[in-house]
Order: sequence, then structure tokens, then C-alpha cells
Amino acid sequence: MMSYPDENPPREPQGAKIPPQKENLAQRIQKVFSDLDYPLDEEIVEEILQDVRKRVEQEIVKQRRKEEKERREAREFVTRFNLNIRVQHFLLAVAVLLLIFTGLPIKFHESAWADIYFRFLGGLSLSRWLHRLAAILLTGISLYHLFYISFHPEGKREFRLMIPTRKDFKDFWQNIRFYLGLSSQKPKFHRFSYVEKFDYWAVYWGVVIMVVSGFLLWLHDWTLAILPKFILDIAREVHSDEAFLATVAIIMWHFYNVHLNPHNFPFNPSIFTGKISREKMREEHPLEYDEIFIETLTTASTSHTTAVATSSPSSEDSSPPPEPSEHHL
Amino acid sequence: MKISKVWGVIFLIGGMVAVEAVPGFAQVDPLRRCLLCHGKAGFKEVLEGGKERPLYIDVEDFRGSAHGNMVCTICHTDVRTIPHLSRPRRIHCLQCHYEGNVVGAPVERKPEKYKESVHGKALEKGDPRAPDCRDCHTSHSVRQASDSASTVNKRHVPETCGRCHLSVFTAYSQSVHGTALSKGILESAACSDCHREHDLLPKDDPRSSLYPQNVANTCATCHQNETLMRKLGIPVKQVQAFKESFHGVAIEFGFLKVANCVSCHGYHDILPQSDIRSSIHPTNLAKTCGKCHPRVTAMVARGKIHVLPTEPSSGIVYWVSQFFKWFTILVLLGLFLHILLDLFGRFRAHRTT
Repeated sequence: MMSYPDENPPREPQGAKIPPQKENLAQRIQKVFSDLDYPLDEEIVEEILQDVRKRVEQEIVKQRRKEEKERREAREFVTRFNLNIRVQHFLLAVAVLLLIFTGLPIKFHESAWADIYFRFLGGLSLSRWLHRLAAILLTGISLYHLFYISFHPEGKREFRLMIPTRKDFKDFWQNIRFYLGLSSQKPKFHRFSYVEKFDYWAVYWGVVIMVVSGFLLWLHDWTLAILPKFILDIAREVHSDEAFLATVAIIMWHFYNVHLNPHNFPFNPSIFTGKISREKMREEHPLEYDEIFIETLTTASTSHTTAVATSSPSSEDSSPPPEPSEHHL
Repeated sequence: MKISKVWGVIFLIGGMVAVEAVPGFAQVDPLRRCLLCHGKAGFKEVLEGGKERPLYIDVEDFRGSAHGNMVCTICHTDVRTIPHLSRPRRIHCLQCHYEGNVVGAPVERKPEKYKESVHGKALEKGDPRAPDCRDCHTSHSVRQASDSASTVNKRHVPETCGRCHLSVFTAYSQSVHGTALSKGILESAACSDCHREHDLLPKDDPRSSLYPQNVANTCATCHQNETLMRKLGIPVKQVQAFKESFHGVAIEFGFLKVANCVSCHGYHDILPQSDIRSSIHPTNLAKTCGKCHPRVTAMVARGKIHVLPTEPSSGIVYWVSQFFKWFTILVLLGLFLHILLDLFGRFRAHRTT
């Protein structure tokens, strides 16, 4: 910010007028120039004062806009994912990507691209240890997630909302009808749409299969000490097949939904920033939106973010969800 | 006196002419002179220390050999007089079998291969036990390998090698390959089928047929031959299953300690699974696998060993594989359709608004 002869430039948003320091400023200008043996006449002093006033006003407008923007953001964005979930997702993504990059070349070891990969890494040794390192990370994060959804209040709440209900099947059917133009009504989703629930449970199924079969293979000496060999054969087949399914599903489905979908293109940052705009939330998760903001109105809560974290999930199936009211539009 | 002398000369010449003229006496049997001595059974040389060296040549055997129409002096070029007073020089096959020879001796690249082999290298180092050509091909009854009387004919290869490698020969004779060969099943493997003949390289040489990474391919020359294996009633996909197994993939990536065919099946003493002495008999499997995986128990025998998930004979593994195949197709198709519908729906909504 520029500095002015005036020591206290008006900064209050409501004080749009210049405070009555005109006399002082004019006198001081006069005094400075008199000391320099160059007295100014009244007109020029007035001109300078006008100029200063203009600049200060511009500065005030700028400041106000900035504050307005901050307030609007606080008003328009809500926290969709808390830090805990964001970190879980990030670590899961790192582990899964590493597992895919180090695992697929083994499945397709005869291919030319696997050859390039192994030449780059100087053989199988490093790759297989990276795979096991990532496996430990995946197992750790999965166990933590189990703990989180079993004991942590936030986790318990999120998990309850993840459980598939009859409504999800109805939503699915409604969505298909909407896409085909058989219905003009889009299904109204709560916190998690059936697409997101499918994603979650697909990962759940995938991780259970991959971790169990993976450890059977890793500890094959122990496996063969207590389990028949055909169990190991099944573990290997399953590990290989599910890896392929998961990889293709992630590339096709997850990347479409969060990246390539025109609605989100190029990238839906919610899982990393944790934030979702109110507008987007109202469009994609109208039931959750209503739940939060109607509750906010009734309880006159000041913070939206706390409302997200503490709003009751029980209203989902008990009472008919409230219609989106005009207040929020 | 003078007359009798003249007549004597005439008779001598006449006799010699007669000898030359009678068929089957001298001209037809150019070996005769050598065989005067060497044709006598039991003709031998007594060496220092009482050892005996047989010098007898079985002429019928020689006549049947690849060199049967030649006379002794073609090879023993230094024998000029009879009886030869000195011991003839050691002869070498390469006297004739070299590139550009004029006597028409067949030349192949085998001598060069031999020089690279364990036997050739040992000979080069001066090992007195190292075999050269004659030790396998013999000196005087050299025959084509296709000749059933040849020492290098498949039937006789084990005995030929066994002359030096006696303990190996004993083990081999009891193996499934050995017993089959002795029964006249010539498709069975003799020594040279796995070790090769002339390019018999040490097993730590990457070019060797016995190098860990090459063992499966060596066995595959027969065990991946479908018509042959069907004829003999032996499963044919074992090699393929091995190559796709963890062991197979690991060995492909250069983990040479990993099990290959012979690690479990043995090599000279290979026996069928049904034989109680076999290393792969179900009761011995835990011990066999235990060589590398010390914790395994008899559980390892419960399930097929060479499993190809694409083969219905693999049982439950096949069904798991099939389930995942169709499950994957179904899921991906469903997801793809949903994506198409989503795009279509969005496009439609965009157009109408």
C-alpha cells in the first residue's frame, strides 16, 4: 500500500468519507512548502487534496472488494471432506498407483512396455520391493480406515451414509430415465450418490481381495504350511485378475467421474481441498444441502463448516427430505 | 643249379601272379596283410606293469563301419612295412575330416563345437581322462548315429557315456527315461537329448542346455511336443504352466536360484509321480519343496502343481479365472454404458437449455 502524508488513511469499510482532517492536511502541506520557500496558493493545495482523496477512495474500494470476496467464499463454500478423510484418500491413491505401476509389468511380463519398464528399473528386484512397500502402506491405511469407521464419530457417521439403501437403486433407475429423457426429474442425492457409493464399495471389495491374496502370496511359505496349495493358486489367480479389473475400472470409471466428466473437467479438487461450492453442493447433493442449511437457519448456527460436521444423518430415511427452499437460491 | 634257380624265380613270380589273380585272396581283401596279425582274436600288447592292450580288430565289425571300404593305411599312414617295427602314430579324425579335404570325408561343424565343450576343454588342459572323438565314436567301428549298431545310436548312447560316467549311468538306467529306452521306446531321452553331443557345455554357461534359464526349453523339446506326448500319454502343458508360474517368471527375470524342472523332478533319476521313490510322489513333495521352502508341509500336495488357469483341468482355479473373466467384462461394460448415458444425458440437457 502506498504511503501518504496523512498518517491515518481511512481504512474502515463503512467510513467511505474522508475523515475531517482536511484542515490539518492543508495546513501541513502549506507549512512544508513554506519551509522550502515556495508557498503554494489555495487552488493548488485544493488540487492536491482532491488527488489524495481520490487515491484513498480507490484504495478503500479495493480493500472492500477483497473482504467481500473472502466473505462470499466463506458463505459459498462448505467443507465436504475433513482433513482425516483427505489424507486417507491421498495415501490410498499413492499406494494404489504405486501398486499398479509395479504390479502390472509382472502380470504382463512378456509385453514390450514391461520390458522397457524393467530395463529402466534394472530388473525385477527393486520393483518387487516397491510393490511390497506400497502393499504395507495400503494395508496400513485400510486398517486405519476400518478403525476410523468403527470408532471415530466422524468416521461412523460417514460410513453410515455410505451403506447402500433402497433409495440408491431408485436413484439409479431415476438417473437412467433422466439421461434417456424419459423423466425431467434428476434424482436427488444425499451426501453420497449411488455412483460414489459404488466407487467406495468397489475399493472396499478390491482392497480386501488384494490384501488377503497378496499376503498369502508374499508369505507363501507360511501359507503352504497351513493351507493346501490350491488356495495359493487361487490367491495368485485372484490377485492377478482383480488387479486388472481394478486398474481398468479406476482408469475408466474414476477418471471419468472426477476428471473427464464435462461437469468436473479437468479436475474435481474437493477430495484434496476438502471444499465444495454451495452451488455445486445444491446441484449434486441437494438433500444434504437442505439438511445442512435448513438446520443452519433453524439453529441460527454461524459456521457452516461445523454444521456439515455435526448435522444429523438420521434424517435421511426417517423424515421426507425437505424441499429446497427459496432462501438458499 | 642255375636252371633250378631260374625256375625258382619263375615259380615265385608265377606264384605271386597267381596270388594276385585269385579273387578274394589279396585284391578283394586289402586288409589281409594287417589282419594276419590283427585279425587274430587275443592279439594284444603287454604294456609295462603287466597291463594288456588289445590289438585285435573284428574285421566284420570294421567292414560294417563308415570306414569299412577303406584300408588300414589310409588312416595309419606311417605303417609302410609289415611287420611294422614301431608303434604307429596316434591318428586324428581331422586328418580327413577337415574343410576342403580331397577324400570326400564329410565335414560338419562338430569339431569346433567339441572344442568348446567340457570334454574339449578338459582335453586342452591335458586331462588324461578327457574323451576325444574316438572315445565315443570308437576307433574301428565308427558308424552313423542312425545305425543301430553304432555306439552313438540312441540305444547305446547311455552305455557309451556310462563307460566313464558310471554312477550317472546307474541312476539313469533306473529312471523313467532309462527304462523306457531300454524297452526300445526311442522317443525317450538319452544323455545327448538333454546334454547335447558335441556342444556339451558346463551348466553355468548361459549357452548350455543345462543353464537354469534353458532347462525348461531343453525339456520342452519333447515335453511340449503334442503329438509325441499324446502318443506316450504324458501331459503336455507342464512346460507352459511352469513358464507362467512364479518360478518360471522369476527365472525369466534372472533369479537363477529359483526352481526349474530338474529342481523338483531330479535329472538322471527322474521317476514318474506314481513311483514311491520319485521326488514328486505326493508323499515326497513336502521334502522336495522343502529344499527351498523349509516350512511347507504335506499341504503342498493338495492341489495340482502345474496349474494353467485357462485349462478346465485346473479345477477351481479355472472356475475362479472364468468368474473373474466374465465379472470383469460385465462390470466394465456396465460402467462404460453408464458413462455413455451420462454423456448423452448431459449433452441432451445442454441442448435443451
